[in-house]
Amino acid sequence: MTTKFIAKTEKQTFAYAQKLAAKLKGGEVLCLTGDLGAGKTVFTKGIASGLGITKIITSPTFVLMKVYGIKNENIKHLIHIDAYRLSHGDDLEAIGALDYFGKPNCLTIIEWPERVSEILPKEKIDVKIKILKDNNREISVKR
Amino acid sequence: MIVLAIESSCDETSASVIKSTRGKIEILSNIISSQISIHQKYGGVVPEVAARHHVQNINWVINDALTEAKIDSKKIDVIATTAGPGLITSLIVGIEAAKTLAFAWNKPLLPVNHMYGHIAANFLQPISFPAVCLVVSGGHTEIVVLKNHTQMKKIGQTVDDAIGEAFDKVAKLLNLGYPGGPIVSKLAENGDAKKFSLPRPMLASKDFNFSFSGLKTSVLYNAQKIKKQDDQFKADMCASFQQAAVEVVVKKTIRAAEKYKAKTIMMAGGVAANKKLRLDLESATKKFGANFTVPPFVLCTDNAAMIGIAGTYLANKKMPSKNNWHKTKVDPNWELL
Repeated sequence: MTTKFIAKTEKQTFAYAQKLAAKLKGGEVLCLTGDLGAGKTVFTKGIASGLGITKIITSPTFVLMKVYGIKNENIKHLIHIDAYRLSHGDDLEAIGALDYFGKPNCLTIIEWPERVSEILPKEKIDVKIKILKDNNREISVKR
Repeated sequence: MIVLAIESSCDETSASVIKSTRGKIEILSNIISSQISIHQKYGGVVPEVAARHHVQNINWVINDALTEAKIDSKKIDVIATTAGPGLITSLIVGIEAAKTLAFAWNKPLLPVNHMYGHIAANFLQPISFPAVCLVVSGGHTEIVVLKNHTQMKKIGQTVDDAIGEAFDKVAKLLNLGYPGGPIVSKLAENGDAKKFSLPRPMLASKDFNFSFSGLKTSVLYNAQKIKKQDDQFKADMCASFQQAAVEVVVKKTIRAAEKYKAKTIMMAGGVAANKKLRLDLESATKKFGANFTVPPFVLCTDNAAMIGIAGTYLANKKMPSKNNWHKTKVDPNWELL
């Protein structure tokens, strides 16, 4: 099932992700694709906000993976992975990322999942952010 | 006091011996084995590869540090090691080596925050407090206010990408190679910084936070409009980008210094090696009326001496107990405060 949404502003992308977060139960792996500047960071910030995380979500490009603790939720950890620099899934396995996939109290977001396609779980949610000609963003969510 | 320090948080394996006598700190050795050339072809550090090289290098690096310092294990008072933040696979090599030595030699083990280490690289010079420190690296962009050598508070940080990461990504967008920082600043020397009007993200915001994600995107959009991307274009774009990035961090650091009545403005981290940033922050600090410090180049990029200097101050404040090695854990997301 695929749902589509057109976001006209950054705020709308953020709000859409925030609402989506409320529907997540835990254990999901969100694969987030989109060009540089499409709004992947904004989307991730929206998810984090929807889960009640108040800490600033910063880019995990350098350390590849950041783990945020969440209080008072079914979901206890948000795992934010950025595979931008990687060329193979082995590199994520080496840092223990796979331990979090599908864990019921964890939500995993992977940016640039196409770079590590060989290690992605079968059960995943694909989120694609496309920059449209009028600079609006089309966000499609495929479960 | 003699401190043996170990650092392996990213792609540098390093060990150092620091000696302190009545407040005077001396670097007896600082051995650094860099893997930059190994990771260059990947356009960034590959964790698995980095870990393997750390394992290969850690023993001889520690051994060389002790030999050069002419210190044997009996004289060491405490072992300081980076416990985070960094890459887990890299960190663990240094910390496990430190734990093993602490156990074998019956020494106290002191976990040190890597970012505090960067700041402490400034402590070789006398510092008047309060001080404001701009910490800029591939993974961090922060403003920290220091009450003294060991008490500090982070007052601002990037809300998305780190400044060094922005340099790397701009270099990648323009097909310039890795690591991006030195390449972009080199090309910028021959470029016109006013050629492209790029945004100054969050310059007007009242807090001390930064944002570099939008600036990088703006470089992308501006570059897409140019069909002929010759050397002059690249130089102009690098200069315009560097101007925007440097301007924001310098202005916000000075604003922080005003608010906290800083007597010293310091800079730390790998991006502190950026020539333009050094010059601009130094002249802005002079205008503001405070002392300016920045560590020598070799102590700006990752090294164990800075961990040893930080460890010296921490151990002076409170020496950890012996046999504490089993309590020490790696924390790849360890935040300064």
